[in-house]
Order: sequence, then C-alpha cells, then structure tokens
Amino acid sequence: MKALRQIAALIRKDLGLQFRSKETLALIFVFSVLVVLIFAFAFGPEFPTEKTERGKLAASVLWAAFVFAGIITLNRSFAIERSHGALHGIRLTGVDASHVYLSKVISNVVFLFLLEIVITPIALQFFELFDDVTVVTLLKLLGVLSIGTLGFCAVGVLLAGMSTSTNGGESLLSVILLPLVIPIIMGGTKCTVSILVTGGLEDRFWLMMLVGSSLVFLASAYLLADAVIEE
Amino acid sequence: MRLNASQITKIFGHRTIVKNVNLTINPGEVVAIFGPNGAGKTTFIKILATLLHPTSGELDIGGMDAVADYAEVRNTLGVIVHEHLAYPTLTPFENLRFFGQMYGVNDLETRCKTLLDDVGLSRFIHEPLHIFSRGMTQRFMIARALLHSPSILLLDEPFSGLDASAKQFVVDRITQERQNGKGVLITTHNIELGYLVGTRFLFMINGELDEIAKKDEIEVETLLRMYEERLINTTSN
Repeated sequence: MKALRQIAALIRKDLGLQFRSKETLALIFVFSVLVVLIFAFAFGPEFPTEKTERGKLAASVLWAAFVFAGIITLNRSFAIERSHGALHGIRLTGVDASHVYLSKVISNVVFLFLLEIVITPIALQFFELFDDVTVVTLLKLLGVLSIGTLGFCAVGVLLAGMSTSTNGGESLLSVILLPLVIPIIMGGTKCTVSILVTGGLEDRFWLMMLVGSSLVFLASAYLLADAVIEE
Repeated sequence: MRLNASQITKIFGHRTIVKNVNLTINPGEVVAIFGPNGAGKTTFIKILATLLHPTSGELDIGGMDAVADYAEVRNTLGVIVHEHLAYPTLTPFENLRFFGQMYGVNDLETRCKTLLDDVGLSRFIHEPLHIFSRGMTQRFMIARALLHSPSILLLDEPFSGLDASAKQFVVDRITQERQNGKGVLITTHNIELGYLVGTRFLFMINGELDEIAKKDEIEVETLLRMYEERLINTTSN
C-alpha cells in the first residue's frame, strides 16, 4: 500500500512538472509537428497513389517523430531531477529505486501517449490517409503506439537516468538508446503500416516482436533500476 | 539514535578525499567539523547521509548497517547539502507535501504549514522556490530536513551565504533541535558560529579528521588560533 502511494505521488509530481513547464510542452509539440512537416515537404507535394506506399511513409514519419520527441522528453524528465539534487531528495526518503523507475516510465508513457493522440491525426492528414482511417483503425493504431511507447520508455528511462548524470548526457542518450530500441521501432513501424493499409494486423510476428521486446526491456530495466538510480 | 562511522575512506579516481575517518554522533550533541574548502567535508557528510558509498569503512546508524541497508536508515536522517534537494518550479508547500508523501508523514498538510510558519516562509507558501533568495532557500531546506522528524541532522555549511538574521535563525534552530535530543553534525569554516552551536569540535583537513575538544574544554579564541595554525602548517607542508 505504501509502495502504491509513493508511486502515485511520484507520477503526480512528474506529470505536474511536465505540464507546468509550458515552454517545454510547446517545444515538444512543435518539434513533433516539424518532423512530420519536414518529411511531408521532402516527399510531397505529390504522394504515392498506392495506399501501401503512403502507409509505409506515414508509419515511418510517425515513429521517427515519436522517437525524437521521446528522447527530448526523457532527457527533460531526468534533467528536472538532477538539476537541484531533487533525485537525492527522493533517495533520502528511503523510497525503493524501482518505484522511482516505474513512476518515471508511467509518467513518460502517459505524456508521450497524449502527444501521440494529437500528432497522429495531423500526420495522417498530411499524408492523405486520414479519410481512409476509421475510429476502430485509429484506436488499433494508438494501441500499437502505446505498446511501443511503453517499451521505448522502459529502456529510455533507465538510460536517461544514466546519461543525464554524465557530461554531454543529452547527446549520449540518443547514441545509446536508438540502437537498443531498434526491435521496438521495427515491430512498431511494421504493425503501423499493416493497420494503416489493411485496417488490421496481417502478420502477428511484428506484434509479438513489439510486445516481447517491450516486456523484456521493462523487466530487465526494472531489475537494473536500483544500480542506476543509486549510483 | 546514534551514528557511528568507522574507518571511512572515499577515493575518487586517484584522489583519496576522505581518509580513514572515525566519528560518533550521540543524541543531544552538535558535532561541528571545521575545515577549508576541498577538505572533504561535503563528501564525508554525503557518505553519512548514504548519498555516496564509501570506498571502505563501516557506517552504523541506530544499530543498522547504513552502507548495506541504506534505504532503512534514510528516513532517520535530516540532511542539508549544497543542492536544494527539491524542485525549484514547485512552491515550498508543494515540495514539502510531495516529500512528506514519500516519507509517509501523518497529518501532512498541517505539518507542512506549521514547518513553513516556523521557518518564516508562510508568506511565500505559493511562490516557486526558484525566486527565493539564498537565505529563504536555506530556511526552506531546514523545513525540508525537519519534515519527517528525523533523529539525526546532517547539515553541510548551514550558514553559507546567509545574512546576520538568517544565521541567527539557523543557530537558534540547531540549538532547539539539540535540546529536543537530536544528534546534529554541522560542517562549516565559520569558527565563531560553529562554536556557538557546537558541543564538540573537530578539524577536517585534507580528508583527515582530528578530534579537538568539547565545548567546556576550549575557548573560541583558542579554537580559532588552533585552526589557523593547522591551516598554515598544512599549506606550508
């Protein structure tokens, strides 16, 4: 019970701090839209007529936007903790490091998922797919994105915890995180293409890869959280 | 509750910052450690606060092994270090409420308001911490350190950057906590203020800790002279 209360307090604090900083919110939102726009300008104004090709393009752009926005969010999430020693303050309360880790994962997943809810329709509109997407398809798409976001944050929180304690940590996070999340990006992108093109998941292998890698990352990072947060 | 540090050593890279230090803090005493910048005081206090692991040595707090079971002993410690240990964009009340929830403090809202009133910050309850002056921040840090009624206070440079009234406030507060039976450790290079609040005095120079005297055994002038001589000897060596 005490653990749940502590995790709830940590999540409330994390989300409160994320949403309190309006400039960071605006920065992450604008950055995500710009990533979509850059791809739209690079490939447009004439997009492929085949739905499959447009689906591949939109899926790649969506995942690129969310991965880059995710890196900014994760960096910021730990920078807040490190800048005035707040993480030491949390450690001094005697809270289990795994609770701190779990709360960071949950708050970052919630934050990024809200971003995805806003950005996904915008990206689909840019790539002329929005009219083909039903509400059910959109929900399936958000389901896949949420699983991918969980896996991304599971490993990202752990690495952000390590990298923000070093010099040049923000750049370091990108370099060490991106190679690790390739299975999530691959699985997530393939599932997204399938949902955008057919409205469902044609090949379950990619979904299995997405779910499996996310769970493996979550379990292993949870076990390593103590070492990262305490060091 | 007693704190007992035995043969504590901390090495960063090739530098030994803290060398085989032994220290006991008993309930109801204020141990003052004097030392120049870079003497290892902050590193030592962070080890006692379980924020840093010693390279070697033993730390016993209230009968528990604080190196191995650090999570168990942390809520018995009230700590002030150079960092705020809080969130600058939150107000002092929000910070105290959050950390109080983490500690599991009972009747939290009342406790936060009482503490902020005690440290003279009740007028600034809704202002974010980042607009606070050094003195106001130090007052907040004292409230934060006392939030969960710890048995031992570890205060690193509690007088640094404070004006006369804020210094007097910190002196009064430390004295009050000692009278309440808490064990207090302060590190400072201000001999006069350290003497005012301390009951036992030690020097830390180049990572080595020397026990000097208890308060009833030494005058402040003698303590100051000894400290200056020790610094000169260290510099000339």
